[in-house]
Amino acid sequence: MSCDRIVIADGDADTAQVAEFERGRRELIRRGLGIGAGAIAASSIPLLLSVRNAFAVGNGDPDILEKAIGLERVAILAYGVAIDSKLLSTGFERVARRFRDHETEHAGTLTAALMDLGGTPPPKQPTVADIDGVVKGIGDVKSQADVANFAIELEMAAVAAYYDAHRKLIDAKLLQAGASIMANEAQHLVVLRQAVKRSPVPNAFETGTT
Amino acid sequence: MDLDSFLRDPSSRRRFFQMSGVSVAAGSAVFLAACGDDAPPTTSSGTDESDQADVEILNSALDLELMAVAAYKAGAAQLEGSVLKIGKLFLEQEQEHADGLSRAIKDAGGKANRAKASYDFPVLRSQTDVLRFAVDLENTAIAAYIAALPKLSQGDLRATAAAIVSNEAEHVAVLLGALDEEQVPFAFVVGKAA
Repeated sequence: MSCDRIVIADGDADTAQVAEFERGRRELIRRGLGIGAGAIAASSIPLLLSVRNAFAVGNGDPDILEKAIGLERVAILAYGVAIDSKLLSTGFERVARRFRDHETEHAGTLTAALMDLGGTPPPKQPTVADIDGVVKGIGDVKSQADVANFAIELEMAAVAAYYDAHRKLIDAKLLQAGASIMANEAQHLVVLRQAVKRSPVPNAFETGTT
Repeated sequence: MDLDSFLRDPSSRRRFFQMSGVSVAAGSAVFLAACGDDAPPTTSSGTDESDQADVEILNSALDLELMAVAAYKAGAAQLEGSVLKIGKLFLEQEQEHADGLSRAIKDAGGKANRAKASYDFPVLRSQTDVLRFAVDLENTAIAAYIAALPKLSQGDLRATAAAIVSNEAEHVAVLLGALDEEQVPFAFVVGKAA
């Protein structure tokens, strides 16, 4: 793939929201420009707006859970695409399978929690187009490094979404489960960053945006 | 006390964390909490009561962070090369957490706790000892933050606590890697009760 093919998906946002995320976008672009493979295009649009807004404007715990289930399903599918790509070494494929298993566990727990609240899990299973709705470019990966850099952006999106959700969730156990999942996604980030020789823990506060 | 005894003996660990300022209830390290378990306190416009509860929770978190700073300082002498570099980075990040918590405590009208004059750490004889002790401290902090998180009255504080938990979890993954252990063993990061 060309290094500028992974781009952050656009989202529906008004001007104020764009401004709000502009700082994060610039930081993301800077990071992308510094890493070689999988760089973020300078023309990328505001940082993960579609995902972050979905959580941030969640209308109560069930709504946030539905969005989280959708995001976990996207991650499951994305790791599946990566595994099927034949681009991964044996060791990295093992990592991808493990992380896919983790995302599956997250989705299962979130689904059970949603049903406990009387909700119904979203019936639609994601497609590659839905992955592009979070981070674009999975169809263009050409190397293991591309896959790792793509997965980093996807995990960052998840961390950012859970971070935002902590302002909105009400139920104590959901808050704790959310933190536990967010921390797991952050651990995924460590392994993925190390795989492409990036600093594994670049910031003291892991918010998924810097 | 040597590290193996410390890690194997729950009462020793509990005693250590109690002496370091961490509240220990029913075998778990938890930050002080003033509210029930079912839901976060009602987000308010900053009532004295909710601010006071937040200050108590944040000060207990601060105690753990200050202890972690001291632990990474104490362990640095046993570290070499890339692991020493990691130790220094994590020390800086724990200090950033401590500084952030101190600011939040002051913003809420409280007085931030200070570091203890000394900590009775177990004897750390090697780089491996330091790494294993650091994993234990980080996991204890994770468990404490997760237990306390729903008690915080403000959404911003809850989000920040989650960001710290995630950073501590990242530390654990790096430390486990340095020990040649599985870096992400579980899908849910829950830490380890004191």
